Amino acid sequence: MTSAPEAPAPLLRAILRGVGWCGLGLIMVTVFLSDFLARAPAGWTDATVMLSPPSPAHPFGTDLLGRDMLSETLHGLAQTGGHALLGALVAILCGGLFGAVAARLPRPLAFSLRGTLGVLATVPALLLAILLIGLTARFYAPLVAGLAAAPLAFVRAFDRVEVDSTHSEYARATGIPTMTLLRRDLSYEFHEMLGSVAARALAAVTIIVSTASFLGFGAEPPARDLGLMIAAGKATYLAAWWTAVFPAAALVILILFARLAAGLGEGERP
Amino acid sequence: MMESGALLALSELTVLRGGVPVLDRFSLRLDAGESAILLGESGSGGEALLSVLGGFADKADTVTGALRVRGSETRLPARRAKTPIRIAYLPNPLSQPFAPHASVLAQLTRVIARKQGSPLGSAHEELRLALERFPGSVTPQLLDAKPGRLDPVTIAIGLLASVSAQTPDLVLADHAVADLGPSAIRMLLEMLAAERKRLGFALIYATGGLQPPARLGGRVIVMRAGRVVEEGDALRLMSGHAHAYTRTLFKALPRLSLTETRSRSSARGQPLLQVHGLSYDPKAHPRDGITFELRRGAALALVGEEGSGRRALLRAVLAFDRAPAGRVVFDAVDLNILSQTMASRIRRRVAFVTGTDESLDPRMTLWGTVEEPLRAHLNLSGELVAGYREAALKRVGLASHEGKRLVGGLTAFDKRRLQVARAIVGAPLLVVIDEPLRGLDAFAQTIVREVLTDFRATQGPAFLVITADFTVAQALAEDAMVFHEGKLIERGPIVEILKEPREEATKALIQAVSLPDLSQDAAPG
Repeated sequence: MTSAPEAPAPLLRAILRGVGWCGLGLIMVTVFLSDFLARAPAGWTDATVMLSPPSPAHPFGTDLLGRDMLSETLHGLAQTGGHALLGALVAILCGGLFGAVAARLPRPLAFSLRGTLGVLATVPALLLAILLIGLTARFYAPLVAGLAAAPLAFVRAFDRVEVDSTHSEYARATGIPTMTLLRRDLSYEFHEMLGSVAARALAAVTIIVSTASFLGFGAEPPARDLGLMIAAGKATYLAAWWTAVFPAAALVILILFARLAAGLGEGERP
Repeated sequence: MMESGALLALSELTVLRGGVPVLDRFSLRLDAGESAILLGESGSGGEALLSVLGGFADKADTVTGALRVRGSETRLPARRAKTPIRIAYLPNPLSQPFAPHASVLAQLTRVIARKQGSPLGSAHEELRLALERFPGSVTPQLLDAKPGRLDPVTIAIGLLASVSAQTPDLVLADHAVADLGPSAIRMLLEMLAAERKRLGFALIYATGGLQPPARLGGRVIVMRAGRVVEEGDALRLMSGHAHAYTRTLFKALPRLSLTETRSRSSARGQPLLQVHGLSYDPKAHPRDGITFELRRGAALALVGEEGSGRRALLRAVLAFDRAPAGRVVFDAVDLNILSQTMASRIRRRVAFVTGTDESLDPRMTLWGTVEEPLRAHLNLSGELVAGYREAALKRVGLASHEGKRLVGGLTAFDKRRLQVARAIVGAPLLVVIDEPLRGLDAFAQTIVREVLTDFRATQGPAFLVITADFTVAQALAEDAMVFHEGKLIERGPIVEILKEPREEATKALIQAVSLPDLSQDAAPG
């Protein structure tokens, strides 16, 4: 018989969350300064240094077209991070916030919504995103990624609201309106966990956006996206490992920091 | 030098918690079969003493002093130390002494087996025999359930049987029967006294109430802030010849009075709540419905044991549950014909003060809790809201508390007063008060009683008091309806009921809170 892994101690968890937020902050600074830090503009090629390994001139090497991988990774990180932020905002609004509000709606409507979105939440978010991209356009991939992550966020927020708690019953017994109870949830609970919800959504949407691009459903060349860059490195990574490893490492670091900031445990679904 | 013949001899025992003494140079000699009642408000030092003797003192506590058990020195703190005597611990069943996911029977059996060094089968048999000695229908089969599925009185009987089965030399009882309801308290204390007589064990009992010293007798040690104020036999301390603190403590503990202490207001004023033929039991015949009236500013107590039907009646009265028959008129409006929205508006004039503090949202702040009724019901400026809030908090003595403190972190005493402050700002017509003194020590009970009495005197809401304790009923109301096994069995002015109870169940409720030894002192005048 196996037992569930022990949750980290509160202090360790707080430290890990702090590390996650610091990491996300550093990534954000990097994204803002990407044009300044990058040695070359996005898509700039130099035919004389094709597939050049990491060197002082090109710390991350160059790709098949002679593009500086450091510059390309920074541009890719900026684009993927920006798209993920937009998608996370959609997931929070259409998922978390809507779930908290829906829990206070009249019972039949609330449970109909919970049931419908609960079913959608069982579908892998990536498949849902691909389906929605197919029904709309690649241009909407970041928004669609947010919508695909929304059902799970909805279910989590809905279930977190204690509609039947004793204090809610007493409040209703003294004529406190439903809107006031909703305000309680938003101001005392959702507000508290906003950072965690945002980081959780960021991790989920980053995975969806970059995987969709990797599979060819998201961003298209010449747009720089980490998933797209990893896909482009497929042809050369056996001979020139740096073409895939550095974009992949940037993606892993972004997702890792977001998961740490959300306080997610081992194997926990974002 | 300490005496060697004593079962237990403590000398200059001091417990420091975070550098603050919670027990200060406490000395005690206890002979075999003797009992010592540690009487005091919460934090007076009784719990700290029991934790040291029981071997479960906090690791962060600093314990100094000398402990001799049957003449042999025991190193302090005695965490899980082998002592030459068998010590049993009797906790309060409401303090959640069991792991939630295992059966009570299994956990009690393990304790007995460990303490006696016997096999589990033998321990189980000992527990069964102990349960058989007790009145009532608690059996090992009944205890074979998770603690959440058992009522506290059943758990208390199980704990007492476990203590008895351990055949201890010394029993450490930590508020063992507090907040269990007067009849249950009386029954459990009588059972404890009988077992003590049978097994001859010594007893150290920490309590904040009058019932244990009155029913168990023996030496009473009055404690305050970790120090002994005085000690003596119960009768002397309960008389007027005691230390000022002891007198104040005894004065704070509620007692029955057979004379009218307040003017009766129930006959005056317009009707606020009119209940006609209300039936709250679907199986009951419509003619068994209850009819009563509560006038503005009056106070009515619904007295009865847990499960006697008081709360079912209340839920039906306030239209939370649809009553099979009957009519309820609140403030001249029939609640049963109103829509949810309209009923919600009427309910603004109702407030709750509960002994479980479940009406408070633990996530909210202290200020937020008081302000919510004002913000939800009235369109007031922030300045006015703050003014009403401060006035209400001042009246209950919470004005100096940090307003951004979360309700979940407050003490039971603070939560109780916070409920009253929330009720005050709502200017209710009816306040439903459900076991308002549960879980509070003597002084806190006095303050909450005074705060509620002041609230009624100044704002004039009607009180509907739900309690099993006639002393609480008498402190907060003038009239009572007594419930037993789902039926209304008696009603009338409380003083008249106390003087001439007609029903056996009413007599039992009165006897449960009557302290014969104190009657002379308790009688006013």
